[in-house]
Amino acid sequence: MSDILKKYGEVIGFHAMDSLLAIAERLEGKKIVHINSTKEGGGVAEILSSMVPLSQELGLDVAWEVIEGDEPFFNCTKTLHNSLQGMAGGLSESQAGAYMETNRKNAERLKDVLESADYVFIHDPQPAALLGLFPKRKGKWIWRCHIDVSSPNRSVWRFVKKQVEGYDASIFSLPDFAQNLPHPQYLITPSIDPLSEKNRPLTKNEVLKTYEELGIGRDKPVILQVSRFDRFKDPLGVIESYRLARDHVDIRLVLAGGGATDDPESGEVLSAVKEAAAGDPDISILLLPADAHRTINALQAGADVVMQKSTKEGFGLTVTEAMWKKKPVVGGDVGGIRLQVINRFNGFRVRSPEGAAIRIRYLLTHRWKRERMGVNARQYVLENFLITGQLRNYLSLLVSLDGNEGEWEPWI
Amino acid sequence: MKKQSKTVPFRFKECSLLPISTGIRAQTLRELRSAIPEIPESSLYYHFWGRMLRPHIPESEFNNDFASWADSGLGDLELAEELSAINPVKSQNLEELRSILEDILEARLEAGDFISWKKADREFYFIACKKFMFDTGRQTESLEDFPVAVKTSSRQSFFHHFMDGRRRSPEGKDDFSLWLEQFGESTEDVRARLSRVDSYLFSLGELKGQIVTLLEKGLGKGGTK
Repeated sequence: MSDILKKYGEVIGFHAMDSLLAIAERLEGKKIVHINSTKEGGGVAEILSSMVPLSQELGLDVAWEVIEGDEPFFNCTKTLHNSLQGMAGGLSESQAGAYMETNRKNAERLKDVLESADYVFIHDPQPAALLGLFPKRKGKWIWRCHIDVSSPNRSVWRFVKKQVEGYDASIFSLPDFAQNLPHPQYLITPSIDPLSEKNRPLTKNEVLKTYEELGIGRDKPVILQVSRFDRFKDPLGVIESYRLARDHVDIRLVLAGGGATDDPESGEVLSAVKEAAAGDPDISILLLPADAHRTINALQAGADVVMQKSTKEGFGLTVTEAMWKKKPVVGGDVGGIRLQVINRFNGFRVRSPEGAAIRIRYLLTHRWKRERMGVNARQYVLENFLITGQLRNYLSLLVSLDGNEGEWEPWI
Repeated sequence: MKKQSKTVPFRFKECSLLPISTGIRAQTLRELRSAIPEIPESSLYYHFWGRMLRPHIPESEFNNDFASWADSGLGDLELAEELSAINPVKSQNLEELRSILEDILEARLEAGDFISWKKADREFYFIACKKFMFDTGRQTESLEDFPVAVKTSSRQSFFHHFMDGRRRSPEGKDDFSLWLEQFGESTEDVRARLSRVDSYLFSLGELKGQIVTLLEKGLGKGGTK
């Protein structure tokens, strides 16, 4: 076992690592390719930056390619993303044209890689049309949808459905997101990497130094939300919750996030957040670069309560990250947060700023319970949401696509 | 001279469980009842056994998803208790389990009160699964080493041998007990204790802890009868 695999083994157990290797052996000699739309920023890029090297350590032939697009394309895919999460409106003809054209250009660029691959994972809707451009593909193609598509805008879903129904399988994070598609829809949750810069253990000094460098005082409890400046993450609702809670407990609020190269709307949302926070010295708004992983790690490790007050959420990896650092989370009662945050066990799910405020007050005034919930949170992530488990599921899925059809409990 | 019989080693196997959406969902008890005959066997398996391998908390009050939904979705505690009393290991196979489930739901619907049409707070999603089993290549022969070997096995391996073993065995015995049988009387006590472990009221981690303690006490150095 390599040194890196041993490090994972120290976290999840060495026999669990042996099992992962045993499954990987069954895919020896197969070429696996992941395609998404951004190299950095957002959960998908983060998962791939851990999963791809870990897969390679296991001896697998894995490549990660990113599609190249221009502004009209990313405006179109942002509309797709918002509409799939239920926002009204649809794709204009020119947007649909930009989408298809970008996929066509990328298909040409990636022709050799994709034609020779045994398995192709296409992440989210942005590159989904690639499948239709490879009629002679030899491999199995899997569409991995990371978005909350529980109640999509129907006209936009019809457009996406046309692109994805030809896949051999799809993967959704929750059963609520699965759609009417003519292939198996697997349910696999995303995960975090316990060894990454964002999640590795930090010393107390490292944490304090980061807070000092960012000019955030430690004289009051810190409430933190880490997420892109995206309207579905409800940063304005977080500010409202903070203001309601502040009437009872003296606190600071930190909103930390960055943009992603495939998100053209973040500037607009950030301006609204700055306006709402104007003049309040206890609110810190941090626009962090996409690679500020260690800073986010320190912010999460040093926070007293972490929030993720989303109104739509595919999964919510920032929730997982905070839980891994033994923080109870106050999260929106939506999407993947429902799977992670169990009321009173490792945090609270809320449906309003008022609900969030009362939970913040509760956690800050019940230290023992806060710590207990934090311990539960870490154990819950250890058992369910680490990258090793997600990779194990992905590899099992690939093995399943290669036979044993009709049998639900085969020996492999 | 009588030839000494050789100990058969315990080979550690394990499973990977992949949930698959069936696209079938229910929001009322009547819808739930109507869907039961349609769902694949693997869906019954997932909702009775698979929950142990997916995110769940130790404090879960009920031992299958149908009972949990009856309580938290429909608010029918009586039905939840009745469904929770189903011991899936006692069914000969998944079809028998399906019939038991149908009978309980049918009887509840026959009561004819508002529960039959009440809309649940959340939908019940029927999930099927694919379960892959494989040999890990690890094995142990010695009784003394056995508790440590179980302790260090993965969650999925423990699930396969203990929880799922009881389902696969016609006598409802877990794989550990079946292996210990070859040692005869010396492991009788520990096997009796294993058979009494209630496997449905704990998280997998807690259950594993209990079983390891039981094995350590019963098989540790000089621990066998």
